[in-house]
Amino acid sequence: MAKRIDIADLNIYYGDFLAVQGVTMPIEAGTITALIGPSGCGKSTFLRSINRMHEVIPGARVEGKVAMDGLDLYGRDVDPVSVRRQIGMVFQRPNPFPTMSIYENVAAGLRLNSTKMKKSVLDDLVERSLRGANLWNEVKDRLGRPGSSLSGGQQQRLCIARAIAVEPDVLLMDEPCSALDPISTLAIEDLMAELKTNYTIVIVTHNMQQAARVSDMTGFFTIEGTGKPGHLIELDTTQKIFSNPTQKSTEDYITGRFG
Amino acid sequence: MVETRRAFHEELAQLTTDTVRLAVMARRAIHTGTQALLTLNLEAVSVVIDEDRAIDELTDSIEERAFDVLARQSPAAGDLRTLMTTIRGIHELERIGDHMVKIAKAARRLYPRPLEPEFGAIIERMGLQAMEQLSLATEAFSERDVARAQSLADMDDVMDELQRELYRAIFAAGAENDGQLQRAVQVALVGRFYERMADHSVNFGERVEFMVTGHFVEHAQQPHAAALVDPAEDEG
Repeated sequence: MAKRIDIADLNIYYGDFLAVQGVTMPIEAGTITALIGPSGCGKSTFLRSINRMHEVIPGARVEGKVAMDGLDLYGRDVDPVSVRRQIGMVFQRPNPFPTMSIYENVAAGLRLNSTKMKKSVLDDLVERSLRGANLWNEVKDRLGRPGSSLSGGQQQRLCIARAIAVEPDVLLMDEPCSALDPISTLAIEDLMAELKTNYTIVIVTHNMQQAARVSDMTGFFTIEGTGKPGHLIELDTTQKIFSNPTQKSTEDYITGRFG
Repeated sequence: MVETRRAFHEELAQLTTDTVRLAVMARRAIHTGTQALLTLNLEAVSVVIDEDRAIDELTDSIEERAFDVLARQSPAAGDLRTLMTTIRGIHELERIGDHMVKIAKAARRLYPRPLEPEFGAIIERMGLQAMEQLSLATEAFSERDVARAQSLADMDDVMDELQRELYRAIFAAGAENDGQLQRAVQVALVGRFYERMADHSVNFGERVEFMVTGHFVEHAQQPHAAALVDPAEDEG
């Protein structure tokens, strides 16, 4: 079930380089939070730090706190793999396992995470996940076909099905629609609205209208210049950010006065 | 960092300029129409009617372009509020043009007997007050000035008092026959139209306040139209 995330005074480093500085952000359970900002502002780095995905880059580390329902995700005894199981991720380009069938793509995470499952139990979970990703009706008659046989939009929904199959509490989405056509994009946005009853969602998007359409809260990140760390400038309800932001730099960014 | 969406912002600026132009036309209509009534100048009446057509055309043009911007540009934040205020504001201005046509046409009905001087004196002040309130709203809009926008509500009390004064003068004059009664009704309606025009300026000012601050402004309680009986009794 959806859980809340609390980030406090978070600094994110790649080696000596401070990429993101001083972010404090409460994320309520069952909401969609959109992160917007110019390229290089650190929003994707920040997103990846929530499920410790940025650690796959050598030298990456954080200072500060990321907690999920009070549990410190960077605690000494916490296994990053278990963090990533509870906080799933969907990437910019749909990345189904190309040689695996549609069915196996969804089942992959389940097989990794648990001991042998009964076929009937697995079948149910795969169906439920595909239904949850609004893909079931399109693929139910061809579950044995490779995941790569689907369209881009379907592949992305397959990746969402794969992510939700392991029943995470939080879903991180890093520009999930940037490689999709407009109809597929709207399908994903509709899906997000349905998913938020069960998952807390954080989405990085370059599409400001998408942020305005889908999210409850919006955070604006920016950097002062190349080599400087990214900062969270303003976090507020999406309604407020897009109608009357408090910070001038937010206003300038969303009205396109500075690219 | 460079400014992006330049064409969009230029279009917004043009819409703002045209809205100010519309307000100037509406103000001119108040001036011309009031003079037409005070002097029963029938040529000036036609000028006001023609001017109203121009006001309507510019209103339509601004609305169409604002709609196009909404459809294509997804304006946000300050840009969105400016557009909302423009769309609402031009409606207020267009209504002022309509009221002035009705006031100017009253000159035709009163013609050829000159307007009674005791009514004329008050109507002249109502015309000046309407122009001043409109000027203030327009300046507030073009200068994005909340203080001026907020002062409109207080100024509106002046217009309400003038309307009551006019009604008292109508009663004081008395009407002894149908002809006089018809003139009295005509003058009372004219007073009502001035009061409505002032309200439109107040509304415009409220939208300006929203445009600048982002906070929705509750519509000021429209005072009841001055009663046709003694106001002291009315308040009791």
